[in-house]
Amino acid sequence: MTLSQDQLKRYSRHLALKEVGEAGQKKLLHSKVLLVGAGGLGSPVSYYLAAAGIGTIGILDSDRVDFSNLNRQILYKTKDVGQVKVERAKIQLEELNPDVKVNTYFLRLNRENAEEICSGYDVIVDCLDNFATRFIINDICLKLNIPMVHAGVYKYFGQTLTVIPGQGPCLRCIYPDGERLDQAPSCAYDGLIGVIPGVLGTLQVMEILKLLLGIGEANKDSLLYFDGLSLSFDRIKLNPRPDCICRKK
Amino acid sequence: MKITVKLFAFLRKGRFAAQEFNVKEGTTVEEIMSNLSITKEEMKIGIILVNGQHSTFQTVLHEGDVLSLFPPAAGG
Repeated sequence: MTLSQDQLKRYSRHLALKEVGEAGQKKLLHSKVLLVGAGGLGSPVSYYLAAAGIGTIGILDSDRVDFSNLNRQILYKTKDVGQVKVERAKIQLEELNPDVKVNTYFLRLNRENAEEICSGYDVIVDCLDNFATRFIINDICLKLNIPMVHAGVYKYFGQTLTVIPGQGPCLRCIYPDGERLDQAPSCAYDGLIGVIPGVLGTLQVMEILKLLLGIGEANKDSLLYFDGLSLSFDRIKLNPRPDCICRKK
Repeated sequence: MKITVKLFAFLRKGRFAAQEFNVKEGTTVEEIMSNLSITKEEMKIGIILVNGQHSTFQTVLHEGDVLSLFPPAAGG
């Protein structure tokens, strides 16, 4: 495959990076990334993945656009209210970059459908708003040996961790009794500054691109915690739980 | 013995981000929280890590331990 003249211009900033170059850009164009959740995190993640020329982007979400989404979900416009999110996302992303094929999944992920949907993707991105589904993709990624890039946001704060099966901790190492997290404080109730998922989502994309290109060091051993009030990052070094499911292989 | 406590998100309000403490042998996470006026209710679904490993209110701390307390960031 040879890059077209348009592609040489579109990706010229990537091509100028010696760690990426034409070979790296071709890797991206052949890559498949699945976003679970098309909301606050899913918006910047999908935009930057599309702009980067990720060949196949899967987007899964069961919601329609609501007015309350519009302070942070930059994929959608006011006229999109009431529309199916993944359908609007597909139009936006394919307009941004026609090199990108967008697969849409207008449904809820569950233990029955997760394996079939996630199979074949190179990276799964946790853009979810609840821990119950996060544990489903955590477990499926471990089973299928697919890296997962996690992020979560709350009020002025956010966190991210890249789970690489067999190479570091997973979400269940931090949250072994995770089901209680269904009572976790809700952004709908407590609020969320719109830019916080923007910060965390773009960090997720950096991790995804590094994984796909095989460059840099993945954030696989630490929970990176962002505090928007003090504009500070903290890295909390994690140790896998010896009896966690991610250690049983 | 010396330990370090790191607080995140709203737990920092009126407290600190990171601080070293001299405590007696056998001190538990719960006792540290009590000294900092962090209630169990506040940490009901909070995350407790000692040296980066999941821990509980009853976990006994040791010389040089780093205790991190933070709320889960569930939103997306």
